[in-house]
Formats: sequence, C-alpha cells, structure tokens
Amino acid sequence: MRQVWVVLRREYLERVKTKGFIFGTIAIPLLMIGLMAVNILIAVQVASSDRELALVDFTGRIGEEVAGRLGELGYDIELMGREASLDELDRQVIEDELEGYLVLDDLTLSEGVFSYRAKNSPGGTRVALFESAVNEIALDSYLATISTGEALRSLIEGGRLEFESVLEVEDQAEAEAARRSGIAFGFGGAMFLYITMLLYGAFVLRSVLDEKRNRVVEVVISSITPWRLLLGKVLGVGSMGLTQMGIWAACAGLLLLVAAPMIAPQIPGADLARLAEFVPGPGVLLLLTAFFLLGYFLYASLFAAVGAMCATEEEAGQAQFPIIMLLIVPFVLQSATLGGGSMKWMDWVALFPFFSPVMMFPRAVEGAVPWWMTGLSLVFMAAALVGTSWVAGRIYRVGILMQGKRPTLRELVRWVREA
Amino acid sequence: MNETAVRLSGVTKSFGTHTAVSDFDLEIPKGTILGLLGPNGSGKTTTIRMIMAILLPDAGSVELLGGSPDMSRRSRVGYLPEERGVYPKMKVIEQLVFLGELRGLARGDARQRAAEWLDRLGLGDWAAKKVQDLSKGMQQKVQFIGTILHDPDLLILDEPFSGLDPINQDVLESIVREESARGKTILFSTHLMEQAERLCERVCMISRSRKVIDGDLKELKRRERTGAVAVEFEGDPGWLDRAGVVERERAGDAWHIPPNRVRPDELLAAAVRDGVMLRRFEVLEPRLHEIFVRHAGEDAAGESTEPAMRPKGGAR
Repeated sequence: MRQVWVVLRREYLERVKTKGFIFGTIAIPLLMIGLMAVNILIAVQVASSDRELALVDFTGRIGEEVAGRLGELGYDIELMGREASLDELDRQVIEDELEGYLVLDDLTLSEGVFSYRAKNSPGGTRVALFESAVNEIALDSYLATISTGEALRSLIEGGRLEFESVLEVEDQAEAEAARRSGIAFGFGGAMFLYITMLLYGAFVLRSVLDEKRNRVVEVVISSITPWRLLLGKVLGVGSMGLTQMGIWAACAGLLLLVAAPMIAPQIPGADLARLAEFVPGPGVLLLLTAFFLLGYFLYASLFAAVGAMCATEEEAGQAQFPIIMLLIVPFVLQSATLGGGSMKWMDWVALFPFFSPVMMFPRAVEGAVPWWMTGLSLVFMAAALVGTSWVAGRIYRVGILMQGKRPTLRELVRWVREA
Repeated sequence: MNETAVRLSGVTKSFGTHTAVSDFDLEIPKGTILGLLGPNGSGKTTTIRMIMAILLPDAGSVELLGGSPDMSRRSRVGYLPEERGVYPKMKVIEQLVFLGELRGLARGDARQRAAEWLDRLGLGDWAAKKVQDLSKGMQQKVQFIGTILHDPDLLILDEPFSGLDPINQDVLESIVREESARGKTILFSTHLMEQAERLCERVCMISRSRKVIDGDLKELKRRERTGAVAVEFEGDPGWLDRAGVVERERAGDAWHIPPNRVRPDELLAAAVRDGVMLRRFEVLEPRLHEIFVRHAGEDAAGESTEPAMRPKGGAR
C-alpha cells in the first residue's frame, strides 16, 4: 500500500505543480467570473442610462403609461404633451442635453409605429424593449375601445401552459421549482461528468504513455507490480481532479453566497430567492460523487489500456477514438431528450454502464426513473469496473514494456489471456 | 543461504519466429562480478529482462537470490536497463527519492543517501535541477544512483558504460569494484570486451542467442592458452631458427611466435642452451576476443565492434 501511496503522491505533486494546472484551475473560474461581471455590468449600464430621454405624446392617451413602463425598465423619461417644441428638443439633442426623444402620435395608436429621434441609432435591446412596451400599450388602449376587448385581450395574452401533477403534491409551486432545479442539476451534472471523465481520462492516458515513452517504466516496474503502479497513477490523477474541482466549487460557493446578494439588487428582474433553487442539496451531491467516482475509474482504466498499447501520441490519438465515442454517444442521446424526454426505452439505454454517468445521473436527479434503476446502474457500473480493470490491468502489464507497433485486436486478446 | 545469486536453467525465449535466447544456462556465484559479453543483438538484454521477470521465458527456469524472481527478491536488486529512462520534468533529487521510496527506503533516508551519491558523482549542484536540463551523461549517472540507492545485494547493469566519457567510466568502474569488495554480486552486460577484461571475475559469452562459453576469467584464459609466446632478448635472432621456429613476427622490441610444433618449454630450454640474454619470456594469454572468435566463429565476431586482435602484453 505504501508503494501505491508513493506513486500517487508523485503523480499528484508533479501534476499540481505544473503551470498548466495552476493556470487551468485559477484561470477558468476567473474567466467565468469575468464573463459574468461583464454581463452584469452591461445589464446595469443598459438599465441606467445617464442621460435623459424625452417622450412627446401627441395622442394624449397612452403617454403616461408608456413613460411609466419605460421608467420601470430603468429609463429616465421626461413626459411632454403637445405643447412641446420639437425644434427645441432637436437642439437639446444636438447639444447633448438630451440623448434622444420618442414621439407618439395617431399612427402609434392605429399601427404601433412611433419615432425615435437621436444622434445615434438605438441598440438592439433598446429597440426591442421600446417596441414591445409601446405596442402592448397601444394594443391595450385599442382593446379598451371595443366591446369584445376583454375577451380578445386574454386570447392574445394566452398560450400559457399550466402544469398539473397527477400525483398528490402538497405545494404545486414547490414541486414546480423542484422540477426546474432537477433539470438544471441533471443537465449541469451530466455536462460536468462528461467533461471531467474526458479530461482526467486523457490525463491518465498521457501519464501512462509518457512513462512508457521515457522508458522509465522499466525501472519502476522492477520494483512495483503493474497493478499497484496503475492504481497509484489513477488515484493520483483523480486526486488532482478532486483538488481542481474543490477549488472550483469553493469559487462557485463564494460567488453564490457573497457576490450574488451584493449584485442581485442592481439587476432588474433578478430574484434572489430563486437563486436558492440552484444550490444543489446533499442528495444530489452524493449521487454526483458516486457517478463521478465510478465513471472516472471506469474510463481511466480504458484510457490507461490505450496508453499502454500505443507508442506515440499520434497512435494514442487514434486508438482512444472508440473510448471517446463511448462518451459522446450518450451525450448526444441525452441532449436529444433534454428537459424530460418521454422515450421510456432510453431509460434502459442509460443502464449501459459506460453511458450511465451522462445519461442516468440526470434521470435520477430529475426523478424520471424509479430509484431502483439508479441503484441498478451504479451496480452495473461497479461490475463493469471490475471487468475493465481486470482487462486493462493485463493490457497494461504487457503493453507498457512493449515497444514498436500497436498490437492488433488478436494480439490484444492474447495479452489479456497470457498476462 | 544459497551461494548462487542467479541461476538460469535451459531458458528459451522467442519473439514470433525469432529466437532471442536459446537453451541458456548460467550460474552467478554470490559476490562475483560477471560480464555478459556478446555483440549487439545476441540476446544479452533479453536474458537480463528474464532475470528481472520483465519477460517470462518460454521454457526453462529462472532463479534469483535463491528463489523465483518475485517482487520481494527483485526489490533487493538494483537494475539499470539498457534503455535509459528518467522522468524528464522531475527534479533530480525528487526522482531519486521517489525511486528509493518505491524500494522501501524511508523518505528522509532516501533523501540523505541520494544527496551523498550526488556529491560523490559530482552532481551535488544539480540536485534541484530538472532532469531534462542535465546532459545525457549526467542523466545516466543519476540513473545509476537510482539503481544503487537502496543498497541492493545484486546489481544488474545492462550496458552501464555506454555513452559515458572515459573519466566517468573509471568512476563507475571503481564503484562497481567497491560494491564487489563489499560482497555484492554484479552482473553487467557489454559488447566491449576490453572493459570486461578489466573488470570481470567471470564471463559469459553469448552469440546468436546461444551461450558460447562461460567461467572464471583467469581459468578460462589459462585453459584457452595456445602456446603462443612473446620473447625479448639481446642480440641475434638466429637461435630461434636453431630451436625450430618457422614463423615469427617482429613487434617492436619483441618477437611474437605463434603456436607451432615447438612447445614454449622447449623454446625456453633452447634459449638457455644457446646462452641467449633474455629480457622477457611470456606465454601469451589469449584475449577475450580471440576466445570468442575461436568458439563462436569469425563471422559471429564480425558483428562485434571490437578492433582487430592484438596479443596481450604485446611489445610497446
């Protein structure tokens, strides 16, 4: 066991000390935080334009409402009636006292057309916001003048799906929230599992291949059994992965707990209470950990076998293709059924151990499959792990000391039999 | 305790249709230095790899330190493979500590020993450098330290001297001698016969996957004497004709007389009879290369990189 520990520690330290690790671990969250910050900044900026807008209402009917709506959206609006002098407003715009002004007239009431006079053409968001606000209010105002207005109004507004669970649920709203966050966790978790297995699996492959190409493995293997070497290596890379994820999780936690409450009030429409829906509970985390560990070991053993039977990076690139397909296929299938697909046979596909992390985990958190199916998939994965590590261990045992060309499938079978 | 460090009996190994080692027997008594000699591709490395259980023989048995070559016995061996291998991105000292720990040394102990060896081989200043920043020769020395760090009972060195300059070859040779004096057993392979001649107590010659000859080096040389003689004397070489010598060859101050129908003792008697002033009279020992050629055939030796033969102790 001490030897496994020695290998593990070497593998871990040599990885964690590299520039790539430090960069990847620190830079990725920083980049994401930066992106979010820029987004928030833009949102805040759009909401509170420094300079004033004016609204000239020639209709005398909807001006107040439009001004009120735009005010809600964060614009600083000065409402004016027909007494306004457009020449005077133009002058103000030219002299930068005013950013621009809107003009509502009879055409606005009948067709929803209105004008915006300014030096610069408005941005896309602004156009969309103004158009929808004005149009809606013009429509309302028209509907109010006809007798069937009320009925029409609800039809126009309509197209709303109200989900009703057939199960006895105490609080429908709560159930709905749980379903929403279930989908979010399911998707996020599947994505996470897919990326980590691909990434850390590739690390294991590299590590095995490097040791083989350096020929250092011949020295090492004279003092340690291949099995222990492989175990130490996989555990070392896995620990590195856990460290990385730990750092990321800490960053995310910090962001949610500290930064979010500070920023949220400045974003229009943000609801801090809904943020809580996106903090996963202990059950979800436990399930994620189980799927991660089993999935990682499963794929790491496959990647290690590929590393052991190749001699160059180019070869390894080709040889790992089938394994990558094993990861991509469930990802594609899962994307197709995103948000609670109803194809029942897919649940059975998700039981295939190599597909389970990406396909079964989201089903489990969404509550789309009965609990025993989740359990069964974990058992299957564990069983598959026993099988792959047995086969991979044997391929590894023979492969790491072989130089020269890649073995054919028949030779591989011989390795496994004879090792 | 068994007095044999390594015993191979009837060991055979093939790769596909190519037989790398065929029906090979070898015994290495404890405490000796044995040289495994042969041209490139003769099966030296395959033999060594089978001793280390890196390859398993198709037939025959391997015995290491008195038993099957399992992990606990292999951990008492210091093995330097032919293909040099290091972790290029690791620091020198950390690499050595890693190898030491892997073989059961405590961390602190491994560090201390590694530092001592690095100093001894003149690499003290390089301990904190990455291995890839060292020259090839230095890397090789680092690897040698890795081999010997855990104070193994048996050293198995596959072509340990190749790629080293003469000064470092000497350093390595002296360490090997020292370890031998401490009672360690040493097996090393080389295609340089001269090296083996300097260092070995026993030799095993191998050619085309078969053993040619093996045994104690001195005894082997005595047994392989042909009766060739080198003489140096004052005056006229006419007495040689009178003694019946047909062929002779001038080599500096000396005359070399290849083996012929005159036995060395008869020749000496003739010299005394004639009152020749002898300065030197030597029954020449065959050089390893000659022995090799004699037993393996000239064509086999052609693969060797050894220069043309020269009688030992020839005139200078």
